[in-house]
Amino acid sequence: MCDDTVDQKVDIATSVMSRNDRFAADNRKLLGDKDIYTLNLISSPGAGKTTVLEFMARFFGPRMAVIEGDIQTRRDAERIEKAGCQAWQIETGGACHLDAHAVNHALGHMNLDPSELELLAIENVGNLICPSGYDLGENMRIGLLSLPEGDDKILKYPSLFSSINVLMINKIDLIPHLDFDVDRAIEECRSLNPDVLVFTVSAKTAEGMEEFCKFVELNFI
Amino acid sequence: MVPPDLNGWLFMHELSLAHDMTRIIGSALGRKIPLDRVNVTIGPLSGISPESLRFCFTEVAKIEGFGEPELVINRTRAKLICLDCDAEYETKDFYQSCPDCGSISRRILSGREFTVDSVELEEGND
Repeated sequence: MCDDTVDQKVDIATSVMSRNDRFAADNRKLLGDKDIYTLNLISSPGAGKTTVLEFMARFFGPRMAVIEGDIQTRRDAERIEKAGCQAWQIETGGACHLDAHAVNHALGHMNLDPSELELLAIENVGNLICPSGYDLGENMRIGLLSLPEGDDKILKYPSLFSSINVLMINKIDLIPHLDFDVDRAIEECRSLNPDVLVFTVSAKTAEGMEEFCKFVELNFI
Repeated sequence: MVPPDLNGWLFMHELSLAHDMTRIIGSALGRKIPLDRVNVTIGPLSGISPESLRFCFTEVAKIEGFGEPELVINRTRAKLICLDCDAEYETKDFYQSCPDCGSISRRILSGREFTVDSVELEEGND
């Protein structure tokens, strides 16, 4: 009977993310062919992703387009459009992350042809776990952590913070009111990810934001 | 007090991953048949909750025509190299520092894996 069981075993050895990764490669090629540099912005809900993107929309204007991922509502896309950029809203209808297929679908609806378009920012669904395994075809993955969330979050969510190129610590205008230890957060992020680049910003007061936008710009001009 | 029905399981990415697993298994086998066991490997940096995956996969496998297989999860450790003393070590817990020198300066070498390794068919289905 044991021998029968061994005979009935079928090896598969396939990465479960392989389908997503194929769509991510398609996205990377499509965007690369059009010379569009792509960001994937990941954080928990309320960390300030849309406020960061509103600043970026004012800085880059029509040179930037935005894909907004939310469980429901077009509210974030409307905020971005008001700030001066083309925006496409993906309503995931319950899913806690964007995958490369959903982004591929959105790209099919967007106008990627204007010659001035150089940058695509994808705002992921607010979540520190689920988006971390999904390559969307981005060139730069940004993890945003805001002061009210606490400085202990980096090692609690290592799948995200080990996979980012850039750590943005947002809401630094709240430093006098909170116990968040910025140096500790940076040290712990480097312990997962020694090459990570760090920006400390306040999207609300604009502190550090222009420096960040100029850094992003250096990657594609 | 009765908590509101949030339909919360829809919000797990493990549900879509369970669908991806059945798609991979179906295409490897070329057919849908009841399975005895499904063997997977999950790394600590894959962002996957093994228990959520088990819950979702049990439902999805049944709906997709693969019966009620046992999901056997091989949970690996991440491999790291200490950037201060070059020691290589393994861990699931990223609060743990280098066992040789205590440094937390390190580079992660692996730990993101999530694979369907193999399936075992029910007797009489080979």
